[in-house]
Amino acid sequence: MIPGLRTIALASAMFAALAVGVLPAKSQTTPKRGGTLIVALENEPPALAPYLTTDTPTFTTVSNVFNTLVLLDEHLGIIPDLAKSWTVSPDGLVYTFQIVENAKWHDGKPLTSDDVEFSFNELIAKNHPRAGTWWKNVASAKASGKYTFVFTLKSPYVPFLSVLASPLASGAFIMPKHVYEGKDPKTNPANQAPIGSGPFKFVRWQRGSHIELARNDQYWKPGKPYLDRVILQVMPDAAARFLAFERGEVDFLHWYIVPYDQVGKLRKDKRFQLVSRGDAAGTNGLMLINHRHSALKNVKVRQALAHAINRDTISQRALFGEAKVARSHVSSNVAWAFTDEYDYKLDPALANKLLDEAGFPRGADGKRFPLRLFWAAGRDYEGRGAEIIKDNLRDLGIDVTVQTFDRASFTDRVFRQWDFDLAMQLFTTGPDPTIAVTARYHTKQILKAPFVNGMGYSNPEVDALFDTEFKEADPAKRKAMWRDIQKILMHDLPALPLFELPAIHAASAKFKDVVTGPQGYIESRENAYEVK
Amino acid sequence: MPTKSLLIYVGGRLLQAVPILFVIILINFALIHAAPGDPIDILIGGADATPEYIEGLRREFGLDQPLSQQFVTYIGKIAQFDLGYSLRYRESVLTLILGRMPATLLLMGTTLFFSSLIGILLGVFAARRPYSAGDYTATFLSLAGYSMPVFWIGQIMLIIFALHLAWFPTQGMYSLRAPSEGFGRILDVAHHLVLPAITYSFYHLALIYRLTRIKMQEVLALDFITTARAKGVAEGRVVYRHALRSAILPVVTVIGLNFGFMLAGSVLTETVFAWPGMGRLLYEAVGARDYPVLMGLFTMLSIMVICANVITDVVYALVDPRVVYR
Repeated sequence: MIPGLRTIALASAMFAALAVGVLPAKSQTTPKRGGTLIVALENEPPALAPYLTTDTPTFTTVSNVFNTLVLLDEHLGIIPDLAKSWTVSPDGLVYTFQIVENAKWHDGKPLTSDDVEFSFNELIAKNHPRAGTWWKNVASAKASGKYTFVFTLKSPYVPFLSVLASPLASGAFIMPKHVYEGKDPKTNPANQAPIGSGPFKFVRWQRGSHIELARNDQYWKPGKPYLDRVILQVMPDAAARFLAFERGEVDFLHWYIVPYDQVGKLRKDKRFQLVSRGDAAGTNGLMLINHRHSALKNVKVRQALAHAINRDTISQRALFGEAKVARSHVSSNVAWAFTDEYDYKLDPALANKLLDEAGFPRGADGKRFPLRLFWAAGRDYEGRGAEIIKDNLRDLGIDVTVQTFDRASFTDRVFRQWDFDLAMQLFTTGPDPTIAVTARYHTKQILKAPFVNGMGYSNPEVDALFDTEFKEADPAKRKAMWRDIQKILMHDLPALPLFELPAIHAASAKFKDVVTGPQGYIESRENAYEVK
Repeated sequence: MPTKSLLIYVGGRLLQAVPILFVIILINFALIHAAPGDPIDILIGGADATPEYIEGLRREFGLDQPLSQQFVTYIGKIAQFDLGYSLRYRESVLTLILGRMPATLLLMGTTLFFSSLIGILLGVFAARRPYSAGDYTATFLSLAGYSMPVFWIGQIMLIIFALHLAWFPTQGMYSLRAPSEGFGRILDVAHHLVLPAITYSFYHLALIYRLTRIKMQEVLALDFITTARAKGVAEGRVVYRHALRSAILPVVTVIGLNFGFMLAGSVLTETVFAWPGMGRLLYEAVGARDYPVLMGLFTMLSIMVICANVITDVVYALVDPRVVYR
């Protein structure tokens, strides 16, 4: 659903009606007003300033307080938020947005295109950790009229609207100019007490305990929101958090904090509902492979690992059957780009043969060579997956030592020291693969920096595709280019895709429409309502 | 009691604390920076930030300076009572710590008071009836309490008293669905306090009980107790006025010493019960390698432990007239 470069002019009313019409997520009953939704956060947000961070608890909170220009629908298409309509020039360089005229900040001041201009130029471009990956395509971002806003690009960049619609990729929430202008954005007191335009107003932040939001009665989307209050409670201990959910003290656990071993039990319990909807981030669990290792730098060795590791067992035992096997470097959620054609079959005999051919025959003791497999404590399924991999590779004559680190030490070891052989890591692949996939496997991303190409993988052929695909206006051609990219990546195996992290949110059955979009864990709760 | 000499003594002890504090800060600084991991990695989260962006953050927080320079800067700030600025929260470290301190002091104070009181009473009870069924039961329970890890006790308490019996809430310090004001709020906090305080008490209570029991048994066998009984002093008076007063001195020392350990123990209790205190702040700061917050917390804790020791000494003088500070 990547928008083409031909002009798309959409009348807002028509589009809104259409969007609601096609959303299967919406319930049929009439929402009623009132109620308090308590959402669990796994950590205290650092600050309620989306342009400073990619932190999940921050986005879970601020998505209720602020708006973006555009949003993603279930199929990763672009739908309006503050921008009621937009056009793209035929050359794909000029994006013109019409901003809604009735949006107001929580302090009563009107929201105009000046706010949009300020947010992008002064806050997002200068401060967001990911701005470096996409802002370089922007020539200018300017208000032209009170409710018109124009982006001009230096060269065509097809994923542009997806970037704007994905706050996690861009931090692109629209912030109030009058609150931020002339002050240091990093230390502005509003970062602890935000003033937004969204469905809920900030009430208080009880440090270490909770953040309270209340309904914005003047919200610019008529009739919304339905809930009186949204409370985000910090609950750092996974087991205790789940007990609190079972007891009904908290109403919503997002997919990163739903324990997979409990999903079966929740599914049978009428007090709860599981919402499996939209993973716009297309998160895959991977095993990173260090290309500097004397054996692993041989592609046959890497392919042998792919044939030997039983990924079905990993999704059955490590993720309790809730996950799909990942069969490519793009998630199947990104349906237009995904292909499983280049996946590996489980074939231990072939794996043994490949290792022999690669020049690593079994020694007298039946062993070939040892490897270290690292994982960071916190995601227990990665640990269980690592143990399964260890078992599979032992049969292959490879002795694997599994080692656990805390997250900071792991990141340092893998992405800065490059001192690892194999490592368990989650990587996003969506909502557009350009945003996430290119950043991991491009040669120029071999940097001593977190979450880039720490594997040391380099293939000029795939680099050339990465450098051109995002300019390709024809969806069919771009799709073909992404097939080629996946073909090369699956052949070369900079990492082995293991599983697609299942999007399973858990909510109390007392609420409806807690999740309606593809970014469930960080979307606003403006559609949620209580049923009695 | 000679108040003046006591004051001079306290002043002297506090002066001594300054070089001690300097050494503590130096050691903490070295240890914290020796740990692997980079605060910047945690700060940017899962993002594939550009090297320029990462260098910019490093400059902003002064992490590009040599370590020795960073230490000198830090000591200079400490001398002006400036604990610095959190990398993760982008807020003053002092504000963050002070914001979390009441919750921790409430939990610690409650725990320290009740576990000391019950521990001493149980110890006296057991010492008066050594090798009775009551003594064995108390000894067994205290040994169990002493050896069970806090996070495990916490989970068990939650499962029994919060999930199954539903007597107490599982998480946090307040009821968020139905908030109350005034006196209702105090009751609400107390209701939330019960499980973490009991969990947190086990270890301390066991320690105090064991110590009191042993000391009381020793003292009760001494000649002056026999003399007192021979004089016809009532048994309650013998036990509480004569024996306990003498036996309690080492117990006071341990209560004071335990203060420091308790702050460390608060990390686990506060995490399990989502109690918004300093222990949690410490836990989060370790995970994020938030150097200024870690340093600030450790410095603050050192000061609190030093104060606790001084207070212990003063209490000593109050409960034992033989102790005179010159």
